[in-house]
Amino acid sequence: MSLRYLLLSAVVGMAGCASDPAPFEQMRLTERALEQAAAVGATTSTQEYRLAEERFALAKKNMQEQDYRRARMLAEQAELDARLAEALTLRGESEQAITVQNARIERLRKQLGSLR
Amino acid sequence: MKWFLWVAPALLLCSGCTGSLGRQELADAQLLFDQVKSDPQVLESAPRDVSRAGESLARAEGFAAHWGTDADVEHYAYLSQRYSQIAREHDQLVRNQQQSQRLQREQDRLQQMLREARLLSAQQRSEWLDEQLQRLATMETERGLVMIIGDVLFEPGSSELNLSASRTVLQLVQFLQLNPRRLVRIEGYTDSRGEAEENRELSRLRAQSVAQTLVDMGVAAERLQVIGYGEAHPVAENASARGRAANRRVEIVFSDENGQLGAER
Repeated sequence: MSLRYLLLSAVVGMAGCASDPAPFEQMRLTERALEQAAAVGATTSTQEYRLAEERFALAKKNMQEQDYRRARMLAEQAELDARLAEALTLRGESEQAITVQNARIERLRKQLGSLR
Repeated sequence: MKWFLWVAPALLLCSGCTGSLGRQELADAQLLFDQVKSDPQVLESAPRDVSRAGESLARAEGFAAHWGTDADVEHYAYLSQRYSQIAREHDQLVRNQQQSQRLQREQDRLQQMLREARLLSAQQRSEWLDEQLQRLATMETERGLVMIIGDVLFEPGSSELNLSASRTVLQLVQFLQLNPRRLVRIEGYTDSRGEAEENRELSRLRAQSVAQTLVDMGVAAERLQVIGYGEAHPVAENASARGRAANRRVEIVFSDENGQLGAER
């Protein structure tokens, strides 16, 4: 009974390591997410974008070493880092736009008020 | 020696047990997910990211509960956090864009007004601004110009203003901003059903609610007077539902240009 248990747990524990296929699709997805983040203006000045780049570089290295499990995990994380960087950049821009609009409206109100 | 058979797999598996880092990531992911999934606006603007956050969290929990490695738990907890954060940012973006559109309309309106005003002489300008007031006010009475905020702008039986009221109130705010010397008296009225004293209180609360909205939108509280008349001074008969609806109202009485308000009734 205990021996079977031992074997079973060993098998379960190993399952992740050897049989991971190469995550080509995920690598492509991550690359596209990074490109898209860069396209909306995300740069290495945002921490999330830096993380995405670093993780993607590591994932590429792991691909070469055929450590596909690590490569997949890093690429998945990097994809979401990049998507968050993109979302943060867009949100920041929308906030700047609102500040500009508010200032413009304030000026218009003053001009209207001074006509009186 | 038989105990060794139990300890060995336990030791082996402990490399797979969830460490404190994994647990922390999991708790953080849970917290973030609870926040986004209970926010109906986030759910509406980023449904896919919220559900992915939930799926990743479930996987992380699955690994933590069974024989997953710490790395698996951390990984899926991390993905879940990212999905939640993306959902939140996306929702904020949508809200900002909506506000931007509102501001754009406001800006267009003000520019239009400014163009019109510049075409006019000083004398005409003051007449023009009065005209704006006329357009806003619905009645000219012996008490001066009066604007009526009808019953339909309140939630039934409540002093809360509903959404369609905000347009009317916004116009009022804009007018008051352009006419900084004018004051207003906000008068609440009810129909004759119920106790007179309660009606007076409800009418005062409704008037107060309008005043509060104006203050929230930047009108100085000193420019506002609030009074509740209850069922006094009906404008229609209280026998019909229609008449009662007309009687439930808030009236905004405007002062003249010099801040002189008519006497209370």
